[in-house]
Amino acid sequence: MATVASVAVLGVGWQLGVQAVDAGQNLASATAASAAVPAAATPSTPTQPAPAPAAAVSATSTGTAVQTRFGPVQVAVTISNGTITEVTALQLTNHDGRSVMISNRAAPVLRSEVLQAQAASVQNVSGATYTSMGYAQSLQSALDAAGF
Amino acid sequence: MTAPSQGTALTIETMGTMVSVRLPGRTGDGQIEGSRQAARDGVDAVFQRWNERFSLYRPESELSRVASGRLRLTNASPDLRDCYALALQWRDQTDGVFTPHRADGVIDLSGVVKALALEEAGAGLLALGHGDWSLNAGGDILVHGQPHAGGPGETASWPVSIVNPQDRLDVLATLALGTPLRAVATSGSAERGEHIWTPSPGTPSPFLQVSVLAADIVTADVLATAIVAGGEATLDLCTRRWPIEVLAVLRDGSLLATPGLRRR
Repeated sequence: MATVASVAVLGVGWQLGVQAVDAGQNLASATAASAAVPAAATPSTPTQPAPAPAAAVSATSTGTAVQTRFGPVQVAVTISNGTITEVTALQLTNHDGRSVMISNRAAPVLRSEVLQAQAASVQNVSGATYTSMGYAQSLQSALDAAGF
Repeated sequence: MTAPSQGTALTIETMGTMVSVRLPGRTGDGQIEGSRQAARDGVDAVFQRWNERFSLYRPESELSRVASGRLRLTNASPDLRDCYALALQWRDQTDGVFTPHRADGVIDLSGVVKALALEEAGAGLLALGHGDWSLNAGGDILVHGQPHAGGPGETASWPVSIVNPQDRLDVLATLALGTPLRAVATSGSAERGEHIWTPSPGTPSPFLQVSVLAADIVTADVLATAIVAGGEATLDLCTRRWPIEVLAVLRDGSLLATPGLRRR
């Protein structure tokens, strides 16, 4: 029962707010991939419990590929003795050439960790609304006057 | 008010702030100067029209007459009622955090009016044949096309710096703006926060500043305001519900960012 419940909860989580795509579409390759998932694969989140003992009852299920705004996403879940021991991404998508994390949650970053665009030709500064008086002292007015 | 000159931005004073228009390309040519002037006048006209109708600083604006009870909402123009309906839709979608009602009950549409004016001004520039432009209204930015003439198939994004709320002459980051995320809006809890009402009055926002990158400027503007007002719960709700990127500055100056803004 616990196994079924875990899979169901995960399934609901993946489908929230997204439209399920044809499950058969990617199933063949996905099933093959899930069978090949090594037991020592890196868990996808740091909160994963330790791998179950070798003797434990273990099963791997493949989730339906769901269409997210980043493209299709699909995972395989390994459950041992009613506990999820492994979540493996079978399909993750690419967005502007960079891999996309499954969650879009904002998390703490250092200033040096924020992706920097090519800054050579900055013409605009975004900030809390300045008044027409405040504009004179703003970076924007300097950029506007500089003629970049 | 400034006459356009070669290479500089066109600026327009309106809505109590400044709008900067960038039209990359060759300048100096008489014909192009004429087209720049037409673009500036078009943007100016759009902002003046929205300001005349929706400013609560102008006692004779349509919205001021609604606020003072001289004009019934049911007799107001379709534009005003559409704008109010849009703001109410955003209130529902943000679970009530964004609201078009001031604490005293007056309808305040300033949370959407500037963004709607930006949207219309952008559409006007496209209609005038300008495919590459940026519009910056008091720190809320909408872009289209590219910042400079590129080769065929080349797509360049517009670099936009995010100001440091603790030092306004410093920038926190420079982010790329372009399709699909063509808009960025930044809300602060310190400056001109009059349109931000926190759900529990007297409780300060945990954020000094929130910047939202979105596909359109109304979404960016509304959600930046909502996240400042609603705190981390609203931040999580918004990043789940909309395809946006967020850079938020906490009160101690530390940063939160969505995965798309993180260096890997």
